[in-house]
Amino acid sequence: MALDPEKQRQRSAILADLLARVTLFDQQAFAELYRLTSSHLYAVALRILRESGAAEEVLQESYVNIWHHAGSYVAAKSQPLTWLTSIVRNRCLDQMRRREVDTVTIDDEEQGMMLADDRPTPMDLLLSSADALAVKGCVELLEAGQKQAIALAFYQGLSHSELARHLRQPLGTVKSWVRRGLERLKACLDGAGLER
Amino acid sequence: MNYLDPERLEALAAQYVLGTLSRLARDRLDRLSRENESVATAIRMWQNRLLPLADSLPPVDPSARVWPAILRRVHGQRESSSIWANLGLWRGLTLAGFATALALSVILLTSRSEAPPETLVVVLAGQDARPALVASADRLGRVLTVKPLAVVQPASDRILQLWALPGQGNPRSLGLLPASTSGLGLVRLDLPAPAGQALQNIPALAVSLEPLGGSPTGLPTGPVLYSGPIQRLY
Repeated sequence: MALDPEKQRQRSAILADLLARVTLFDQQAFAELYRLTSSHLYAVALRILRESGAAEEVLQESYVNIWHHAGSYVAAKSQPLTWLTSIVRNRCLDQMRRREVDTVTIDDEEQGMMLADDRPTPMDLLLSSADALAVKGCVELLEAGQKQAIALAFYQGLSHSELARHLRQPLGTVKSWVRRGLERLKACLDGAGLER
Repeated sequence: MNYLDPERLEALAAQYVLGTLSRLARDRLDRLSRENESVATAIRMWQNRLLPLADSLPPVDPSARVWPAILRRVHGQRESSSIWANLGLWRGLTLAGFATALALSVILLTSRSEAPPETLVVVLAGQDARPALVASADRLGRVLTVKPLAVVQPASDRILQLWALPGQGNPRSLGLLPASTSGLGLVRLDLPAPAGQALQNIPALAVSLEPLGGSPTGLPTGPVLYSGPIQRLY
């Protein structure tokens, strides 16, 4: 869904209008909102949960939630797609953190599978979104470890301890990569006036 | 641990949005964000910074069974006897139980008369179970007083409407709750009969968001923002 800024503005205006109508239980608007956003939100859930059944369940819950709570979207404070994405991601992350208590999420075999499939890797995604968002410079400022940790955490929903296992680094190292990486991103994004 | 130290809050909010926090820390920050505006703002700012990164994910169409399943969940509930069943009302009621008990004790403690107060009280809470309004009436009086417990400020082209929710049948409007620019103040609504009668067989009240002038259909059309059970102190 990487779009140029003008198209992005148009999309946001359309989605904000649909959300306003959903607030009033307008079913047509709800169907249109689903048509325009479900493949994006499903991709977000599928990446993190890695299993279509679980991702579909989260998607269902999220849209039911959106139907009831569209009124809590405040247009001035976030882009509509950001708000919608946060609903799906929060549910996914809650599930991941619950699962983590029971099992180790990624073993070596799974890791092999993740790398073997032809989907873009988290790092590819981070860099291509940086292209799309014109914040390439900000992502490029990150050191390799920071970039990798942030990409894996963001797209795959890995926690600190999962990152440490996955990257075969001490927990402290991974935590500081994440922390410093985020600090740098913030300074760069805010400095570039891109904060919305 | 002081979450509200700005630097610490900033780091926690960033990691919350990125998703790396442990379950415990995540839940804790979640709770805090509902109580504390600066926590909510820090999280929102980080969502605005990071979530556009998700735009680069190649879209994936969910299976065709997802949409009908969503509709079933949304409609099935709407059609079953009353629209209110699907609004989290009953869940909200249980959660609001504590708030109600608290409000009741306040009312009982501040009631100066020696005789037991012949009062109906309703604490109206949002989905987050935070009490937003309290409505009360003398059992024999014809006025229902609605008092905000928090800042309640509908958009300028919307108005709040108070509804009586009968055990069966459609909600009945009790009136509009007009707000000024500084939010909702104290509102007094006239009842058609003494409260004990007018609200007989009404287990709960709810507030919905409606177009200015109130619901055009006579039934709630907007989202239900607050609801609560009627407590009868007689």
